[in-house]
Amino acid sequence: MTDRRIVMPQWTRRTFLQRSALTATGLAAAANLPAWHRALGQDATTLNVLVPAAPDPTPPGVPDATYSQATNDAFAAWQTTNAAKVVYEAPPWPQLHDKMAANFASGTYTHDVVYMSGWVPEFSQFLTPFVDQLPADLMADLPAASFSTLTWDGKRLGVVFSLSLLTTFWNKAMFEAEGIAAPPKDWVELRGMAEQMTKDGKYGWVLNYGAPEGIGGVASYWMSFLQQAGGTMYGADGMPAFNSPEGVDALQLMIDLMPFTDPGSISYVGINDATNVFAAGNAAMMLNWPFMWVPANDPATSAISGQVGAALNPAGPAGTASIDGTDAYTIPLDSPDPELALKLIEFYLDPAVQKSQSMDTGWLPIRLSVLNDPEVQQKSANAATVLEQAQHPYDSFVTPDYNEVTQALGTEIQKALAGEQDAALTLRKASDLVTEIVKRRA
Amino acid sequence: MAPALLVLLGVLAYPIADALILSFSDVRFAAGGIQRDLIGTANYERLLADPTFALALRNSLYFTLVEVVAVTLLGLAVALLLNTPSGRKAIFPVILLIPWALAPVANAVLWKWIYNANHGILNAIGLQLGLIDQKVVWLGDPWMALNMILIADAWKAIPFISLLLLAGLQNIPSHLYRAARVDGASAWGRFRHVTLPGLRVPLLVAIVLQSIWALKVFDLIYVLTKGGPRDGSVVLNFLAWRVTFNFLDVGYGAAIANVLFVLMFVLAIGYVRVLDPERQRRRRAALPAADPAEVTA
Amino acid sequence: MGRWTTRFGLAVFVVLALGPIAWGVVTSLMPTKALTRSPPDLALSNLTLSNYVEVLTTRGNLVDALIDSAIVATLTASMSLALGSAAAYALARLRVPGANRILLAVLAIQMFPGIVIAIPLFLVYSQLRIVDTYPALAITYLSFTLPVVIWILKGFFEAIPPQLERAAAVDGASAFQTFRMVILPISLPALFAAGIFAFIEAWNEFFFAIILTRVQIKTVPMAIAEFSGQYQTLYGQMLAAAVLASIPVVVLAIVFRRFILQGFVEGAVKG
Repeated sequence: MTDRRIVMPQWTRRTFLQRSALTATGLAAAANLPAWHRALGQDATTLNVLVPAAPDPTPPGVPDATYSQATNDAFAAWQTTNAAKVVYEAPPWPQLHDKMAANFASGTYTHDVVYMSGWVPEFSQFLTPFVDQLPADLMADLPAASFSTLTWDGKRLGVVFSLSLLTTFWNKAMFEAEGIAAPPKDWVELRGMAEQMTKDGKYGWVLNYGAPEGIGGVASYWMSFLQQAGGTMYGADGMPAFNSPEGVDALQLMIDLMPFTDPGSISYVGINDATNVFAAGNAAMMLNWPFMWVPANDPATSAISGQVGAALNPAGPAGTASIDGTDAYTIPLDSPDPELALKLIEFYLDPAVQKSQSMDTGWLPIRLSVLNDPEVQQKSANAATVLEQAQHPYDSFVTPDYNEVTQALGTEIQKALAGEQDAALTLRKASDLVTEIVKRRA
Repeated sequence: MAPALLVLLGVLAYPIADALILSFSDVRFAAGGIQRDLIGTANYERLLADPTFALALRNSLYFTLVEVVAVTLLGLAVALLLNTPSGRKAIFPVILLIPWALAPVANAVLWKWIYNANHGILNAIGLQLGLIDQKVVWLGDPWMALNMILIADAWKAIPFISLLLLAGLQNIPSHLYRAARVDGASAWGRFRHVTLPGLRVPLLVAIVLQSIWALKVFDLIYVLTKGGPRDGSVVLNFLAWRVTFNFLDVGYGAAIANVLFVLMFVLAIGYVRVLDPERQRRRRAALPAADPAEVTA
Repeated sequence: MGRWTTRFGLAVFVVLALGPIAWGVVTSLMPTKALTRSPPDLALSNLTLSNYVEVLTTRGNLVDALIDSAIVATLTASMSLALGSAAAYALARLRVPGANRILLAVLAIQMFPGIVIAIPLFLVYSQLRIVDTYPALAITYLSFTLPVVIWILKGFFEAIPPQLERAAAVDGASAFQTFRMVILPISLPALFAAGIFAFIEAWNEFFFAIILTRVQIKTVPMAIAEFSGQYQTLYGQMLAAAVLASIPVVVLAIVFRRFILQGFVEGAVKG
């Protein structure tokens, strides 16, 4: 190694530390510049809104949302009129719950309007009961039952903005090929038709049984069959009441359908995987959300566009029933301007915006007047069916433990669907697990 | 050094200590944030009785053990291949760097696509080659799903281990091999008595590092199976996340994480022992590896 | 081992190592509709850059994500090197009492599953009002890049002959000056290796990125995950995003491979 002469530098350890400290301070200052900028000389109140990313249900103004220019202009006009600036945080839907949990746990203000889907009872102590302040004409235009998943402890904490109930999608071409004119009216026909159409590599039924928990998970699917059988999840005391003949019947139906169900179903985690099978023409029937009507009929992604039918769910012993996707807006308690937040929600529920929501993005409106609008019904051929489905029970049985309960219940149901245990044993085990969970919360 | 330690302490030690306290508490989400009440060891007692925890522990141990063995053996095979005359081309280590550099999320997304029951290439290849007669739902059976995740993780992990072992191989003085050949040792004998002892440190490093990384697997499970089917791919790390963020049972989640931490800590101790310079110097001094008599023994 | 066995083994190795990636790239060049047909329609006429165009312009705004990731990763790497090199040198040379115990503590701390410290960390950051800022992410990432950087550099520093430092001391330089003027310049390979490691780890990190960011920052792993929403999985675009996201790190790894591989040798093998 060559000998190196050391030149006495000005840098001693002290100056290095000093400069590091200065740099760190500079970094912190730079990081907070946006906050300072917002604080200095802004008349408009900022409304922070947490919603999912498109194509999940979003209000106007969210990037990539497909609202018309007219609606976007109306949104801009609303902001000007109300001296507000709406800032969206729109993560992908699966990340919403984690973010919300971290936000609420911090105890600091983060958002003024928060989208919820089945989490209202869970976060009920962080939300404002604002529903009573909504104008009467708006309330009259909303289905009363839509508030059942948003009410906890007697307080109504959110408002659903899209009628999203599970209905049955069926492939008209496949039915015609079998000479069947209409989709199944009841469980008996469902079993029979599913069997009939399972041949040549195609199946009668497909659904995503891969995710046990949440709304849209296998437990929630079973809950729609449970209601069709006339059963219920909880008794008046809050304890599980689903280990009943009705519950067993509901599960048995799902088990009976398994030989006629696309085998990938037990691994499909998202509704999209199941819908892809349906849209490729490989399965004749499925339960699905109203929004999926759009991609199922889109020639760019679907092989069966124009052949899709929407029908009421086949009736069980107690008639037809469904579950509520419960896409709702809420207002956290620590919002600095809840009145303005309320106004924003009213804007989202404005008839023109609701109509645009349906026509432009494919998410059905919640306002009954807009649902009955002939233009809306023409654009979304399934709107009338969903509206009719809404005349029948559609409880999602949401409680604060919904995630944990559906995780336990759903896992047991998955075992039954895989043939590892029978329906009666499954519900017995599930009931014990859920009882334990409910007791822990009490 | 002080600033480095301060940062680490601030960023990590505080939350870890907090997590420890959380594990002894009952944590509820209440208006204004989190409410905590110390409840002693109740969370840990619940752990012992929880069948899902037992399942997660079994899965974690199985996953770690199998992955470490597979990755070490395959990594060694690749390193040996790359240490041959044909393998010494510069392109090969470059090929190794590509899977290594991929983001775990990107890796997960790639394998999710490969394993797709309907459109995945694995089924397509299997059908074409006649290995399977109908499409297999790779992620549909709990046991298979866990192993498919293992394959995806191992694929990404082997490059690092290979490079590590390759560096180790190249560090073995060639005169040892010459001496062994002179003494008439066969290829296997040379491997056993020169290569393996020379690779002792890198192998141990590889084993310990890979164990720790295997225990930390998360992105793959999150993207591919979310713990399913039927909890078949639930491992400790994932369970801690699910309990904390899905069920908001922060105290219990902290308890699970602490168990995992202890497991990793034990491994980390082993790791530092292996790398301890004092011990290594002593060991090197004691090794009679240069003695030809030892090699032919 | 026969030459042909070796050649065969190498061929198998290349196929297995690059096969999945090649398939991912091919997929990213096909429209999703062609891919979801059974069997997939792999006709060469379907090759298209539409996925990439969409990913860069409309959906996901990958360009912003690439910029954000670059900032975070660079910040993390530079902070890791600045702090880690000094710490590694101290551990290697300056007879720090309990050096091994400190190293053990440092490594042990790195092992903790990040998922559960996420909430306490988020709480602290909220109170300091640094959520959704670049420094917050970088500091969090330091928790797992610093130990690796220290580990690589410590091994390297220990291998430097002490004569250099003795010569510097003779010239009257303090320990810190020696470090800066003598050690660092000759440590470039190890520094590069450590820096690249830190950069790649920060670039690829997913979980903390979700929890600790809000509106202003979106990193590349987050962008990739966005294609798997509740109602749609756009495989073609998802893989296009994954490819784009991986290109910077792969290019970095390849360009600096000599340093990285040397870093393996110096730091790992010599302990």
